[in-house]
Amino acid sequence: MSGRPIDLTLDGVWKQYRLHTRRHAETFWALKDVNLDVPRGASLGVIGRNGAGKSTLLKLLAGITAPTRGRIVIQGTIAALIEVGSGFHPELTGRENVFLSGAILGMRRREIAAKFDRIVQFAGVETFIDTPVKWYSSGMYVRLGFAVAAHMDPDVLLVDEVLAVGDAEFQAKCLQRIQELKQQGTTNLFISHDLTAVERLCDSAVLLEAGAIVASGSSAEVVASYHRRLSLWDPATGQTTIDSPRSGVALTNLAVRNPDEPQAVAFRTGTSVTLSLRYAVARPLSNVEFELRYYSADGRTCIAAPRTGEHGDALDLKPPGGVIDFFCEALPLKSGSYSIGALVRDLTTSRILAWWDGETRLYVQSGPATDAQFYLPHTWRVEHDETGVASVPVADSARHRGQPT
Amino acid sequence: MSRTTTVFEPPALGRPQTLAALRRLRQFADLFVTLSIHRIRVRYKQSRLGLLWAVIQPLAIMLVFTLMFTVLRTAPSGNVPFPLFAYAALIPWTTFSSGLTNASTALTSHAALLTKVYFPREILPLTYIVAALVDMAISSMVLALLMLWYGVPLAATAIWIVPAIALLIGLLVGLGLLCSALQVHYRDVGLAMPVLVQIWLFATPVLYPLTAVKKALPPSLYALYVLNPMVGIVDTFRRGLVLHESPDGPALVVSAVVVAVIVPAAYIYFKYVELTIADAV
Repeated sequence: MSGRPIDLTLDGVWKQYRLHTRRHAETFWALKDVNLDVPRGASLGVIGRNGAGKSTLLKLLAGITAPTRGRIVIQGTIAALIEVGSGFHPELTGRENVFLSGAILGMRRREIAAKFDRIVQFAGVETFIDTPVKWYSSGMYVRLGFAVAAHMDPDVLLVDEVLAVGDAEFQAKCLQRIQELKQQGTTNLFISHDLTAVERLCDSAVLLEAGAIVASGSSAEVVASYHRRLSLWDPATGQTTIDSPRSGVALTNLAVRNPDEPQAVAFRTGTSVTLSLRYAVARPLSNVEFELRYYSADGRTCIAAPRTGEHGDALDLKPPGGVIDFFCEALPLKSGSYSIGALVRDLTTSRILAWWDGETRLYVQSGPATDAQFYLPHTWRVEHDETGVASVPVADSARHRGQPT
Repeated sequence: MSRTTTVFEPPALGRPQTLAALRRLRQFADLFVTLSIHRIRVRYKQSRLGLLWAVIQPLAIMLVFTLMFTVLRTAPSGNVPFPLFAYAALIPWTTFSSGLTNASTALTSHAALLTKVYFPREILPLTYIVAALVDMAISSMVLALLMLWYGVPLAATAIWIVPAIALLIGLLVGLGLLCSALQVHYRDVGLAMPVLVQIWLFATPVLYPLTAVKKALPPSLYALYVLNPMVGIVDTFRRGLVLHESPDGPALVVSAVVVAVIVPAAYIYFKYVELTIADAV
């Protein structure tokens, strides 16, 4: 796929906004050093929480506002697939509004006339097309606004939260239309909360967090990363707690190995595993703990989260850093692929000081022990009743750990 | 297949891309036309008297002042009937005042649109100017009726209204762009506009002749007075149509110079502000 021209280039793009508070003007960076190259015909998803900078990115690309620093270069015509009902005038009929909003989107009158029937049919408002839109239901209003935008034929298409528009049937139509444009070779930038749609429609994706790209790669990978990071979000402050440069501690590597078979890349259910987490510390830290996070491969489910502070143990860290080994005597996971993350938490403030994203993969093969949901280590013993009737009591694992009697 | 390349960079007054902006504006010619028609249609769709409103404003001012000068018996219009004298000047004047007032709030009144879609923003103030010019055409028909009524014919000097109208359009474009861009960051502009236009009316020879000012003021003050670009425009319009006189040369030249400076300067400033309009509206 190399050698394809780049349709969309973002070169060190920053965007600053001024917040006018009552006393003084504050500024904040909505985008920080965003770099992107989107080749012709590609579909790139942009995901992130509210306020991560997605809408700002869309506005910059659509030319609605200019970057504060950096440069954006777009090859070809660009159009945003957004609901343009805001450009409608309530006194005008549906027909007049189609021409008006089509013109606002940059379509020629002739072009709109040629596509008029398709637009009206797409919106499903054939019967009301000569009625002033002030009598429209809100659904009809939005559908017609969207239908106009959906019938542009740009070289680069920006899609913003399509799936928030209309009912399920209309959303399906929208997705169909996006697919159609994609097949025509349109370059797509898909900005969405809808992770399933991003996975389905995009080849690759980037994750925005606090205005910066924090993950990029295949859409499945990035969506997984998003899920893992979601659990680190502090709703109280609206901030993510990943802030290692300031906290003075960083997690630099997480390695998984089998102490019995150091060369193994895959592990078996029920065998022992050691996870070595390497950390770097800039200054002495006290009262912290480490935590491991086992995630499903898509990052959606956190399966287990063992902590060093489970029993109230606090650790002190000294520069320059070191390695902490976690030992799991018998891996309880069934066969499959997992991702592992790790974090350091300040026990005094409960703040997360550093985060190792689940870039570490753990592949598990069926062990000799189980094919069920997960492996639960048990011990057992048999007691023979005097009367000759056998019963199987529950093993007392605390006393007879690993020792069948 | 050749594709157009679009570059978005931080705003910089030192790097005006006026040619690229004009090329882009041409691509949106259809929007300009559609939106102008829309502007006119919507305005009259919502009101009972419709197109009559274009006439009512200059007509009302003319009637009030006719009444006043009739009572005072001091109509300053020389040998031309005062209603005709005033109305001929009120046509370019009301076009100017309503065009400028509407154009200056054009951006801030379309905030929802500006934050959603890109199109060359100058189209918004410009369409209000087009609407004002259509009003001008309508109210000119009443002037024709008045001229018939008073038996004042058209003379060859009427040709002078062509440059006067051209300068009026130029001035409206320049000031409309400037004020609408200023309004984005300084809402005071929109609030000050009605007062400003009121004062401006009395600083322009609409209800009195320019010759009276020339006689009354010392040369230095008169030179200052003529710096008002509307002086040359309004005076030329009236002289050409109802007084059958050639324009006052210096006044018309001043108007032309002001327009020649303000239009490019306003456009460069407008395109500079345009880049961050969506952040401020």
